[in-house]
Amino acid sequence: MQEDSVAVVDTLTKAYSDQWAGVNGSEDVGTFVQFMSSNDLIFVVLGVSLIIWLVLLFFLFRVDKKVSNLEEQIKNNQEG
Amino acid sequence: MKIWKYVVAIWMTVVISAGFLIYIPEIPILEQTARNIFFHVPMWMTMFVLFLISFWYSIQYLNEPKPMYDVKASSAASVGVAFGICGLLTGSLWARFTWGSWWTFAEPKMNLAALALMIYVAYFVLRSAFDDHQKRAKLSAVYNIFAVTTIPFLLYVVPRQLTSLHPGADGNPAFSEITADELRIVLYPAFIGFIALGCWIYNVHYRYNKVKLDIENS
Repeated sequence: MQEDSVAVVDTLTKAYSDQWAGVNGSEDVGTFVQFMSSNDLIFVVLGVSLIIWLVLLFFLFRVDKKVSNLEEQIKNNQEG
Repeated sequence: MKIWKYVVAIWMTVVISAGFLIYIPEIPILEQTARNIFFHVPMWMTMFVLFLISFWYSIQYLNEPKPMYDVKASSAASVGVAFGICGLLTGSLWARFTWGSWWTFAEPKMNLAALALMIYVAYFVLRSAFDDHQKRAKLSAVYNIFAVTTIPFLLYVVPRQLTSLHPGADGNPAFSEITADELRIVLYPAFIGFIALGCWIYNVHYRYNKVKLDIENS
């Protein structure tokens, strides 16, 4: 499929590789990809939003724990 | 870690998912952006709650000048401003694709919301002008009480008297026969979730500032 020269490959109008042809031929792919491709791809947006939310949440949990540790340290220093 | 934080984490995950997944009726112009209501409006509600917390601790400080009250008031105000900025930015993006413009000076709610945020930015500018902790705490508490009184006027009373494209204004109620009732099913849980999330971030921010103050004093 790939040509020797980069210039002759028109990736704007043609898929660069058959494997990258997106949702075309979705009957071959797994149920997960079929599900994600349904309903105008809204589930992809949901996936992106959930990834952002869960990463931020993880970060918030970590900062919360770090502040708790600092509070512990200060408490111990004052007692000791 | 308190248990309520885990509840907020799960609650918000469900709210975000439901915001994308529930069926919404077709509304002309809005189309799928009607889902934005689940994310844009709670930003402002969270901002109001955080400003009220800030207001409360400013009063407490003037009653009884404990440094912790000042730390609480300024922490709540700064998290509130962060949510307000999210509200402005999401509103601007939404406006581009429904009203056709990123920003319009003909729209009272948009501009008055920006003005309200600037009043709070001035609060932090005022705070940064003092080196003396007690002076800063006292004057910023007084300013904060003034600042919070402008909020209901700038965001509710005045916009309601003027014609506006923004829902909740004169001749354009927020929930009416043209707006779908079903949106409330996710909207109200989203209010609770985002307000709780805002309180969580405020809690972490306050504890950080408190630790910082403890280290400075020790």
